[in-house]
Amino acid sequence: MKYVNKLALAALIGSSAALASGTAMALDGATLYKTKTCIACHGAEAKAPVLPSYPKLAGQNAAYALQQMKDIKSGARSNGQTAAMKPVMHLVTDDEMAAIADWLSTLK
Amino acid sequence: MKVVLKSALVVAMALSVGGVALAADKKPAMPAWKMQGDELEIAMSLKGDAKEGRDIYEVCAACHLPEGWGLSDGTFPQLAGQHHNVLVKQLADIRAQNRDNPTMYPFALPSQIGGPQAVADVVEYIATLPMTPENGVGPGTDLALGEQLYKDNCVRCHGANGEGNNEKYFPRIHGQHFEYIKRQFREIRDGKRRNANPDMVKQVKGFSDRDLEAVSDYTSRIKPPADRLGPPGWQNPDFQ
Repeated sequence: MKYVNKLALAALIGSSAALASGTAMALDGATLYKTKTCIACHGAEAKAPVLPSYPKLAGQNAAYALQQMKDIKSGARSNGQTAAMKPVMHLVTDDEMAAIADWLSTLK
Repeated sequence: MKVVLKSALVVAMALSVGGVALAADKKPAMPAWKMQGDELEIAMSLKGDAKEGRDIYEVCAACHLPEGWGLSDGTFPQLAGQHHNVLVKQLADIRAQNRDNPTMYPFALPSQIGGPQAVADVVEYIATLPMTPENGVGPGTDLALGEQLYKDNCVRCHGANGEGNNEKYFPRIHGQHFEYIKRQFREIRDGKRRNANPDMVKQVKGFSDRDLEAVSDYTSRIKPPADRLGPPGWQNPDFQ
């Protein structure tokens, strides 16, 4: 009986781990950075922007990066070069922006 | 003597560099619909190399996708199937800032794409791509109006089937994503797309928002010839 319980527990843990990793995979910042076209302008590993005047994002503070993304998406920030970025911001949700911001902050 | 020659050379080089910078500063205002200078004419006349073009296309693929199909929500247009002359002209116009597109602008620069030969090459590569069989379409609620408007206003240039005309720089519009067609149409009607053909601006001046939506929807539903379409879900093997 104990054995069965353990098995059940293991299965439960296993499935919730799979679920958690499934969620993590769906919101993988590195993947989103590519599929949501961030990479086109900000460059591979967020270090080599397409124009020298575009920001390098690697290592940026996550809260700051997220706020800029949200503000550019909403139009609250519309200065500088935001005209280039605004037209693609409908491609990302708040959760996706947060995942991208977290990933950016881990880059050296 | 050698030293003198060398410094003369340096001065000459500096002068020529200055000359180039000056010429760039004094770039004359380009007429909106006309071709954008020598570079474009050269690109038009060059024979493209699709194999070279594949490597150049990698830059484009980040947004227009490896298949050249763009996004069905219209964020990025489908490039596959588009006429050679249309692609060269639009690329050159964005590069010359004769068509405002801040998102794409950096990718049209020589530093990203290259000179006229590279433009010819990348366009040659795009010509190898089949079109999407599943482009984005509109709500489908006003198609009778859209069809009538299309017949009365669009056929003369874009053709009965939306096929456009390479020689005249009229784009292929069938199979394009609805939201993209609508956005461009609106910008052309409202005078915001500076490289628009003035004949079209005049033609659609009286279009209401409903007209614009209806005709864009109808156009997005015209099927390109079957031999131009790729299979659903096709992935470009060149980028696998």
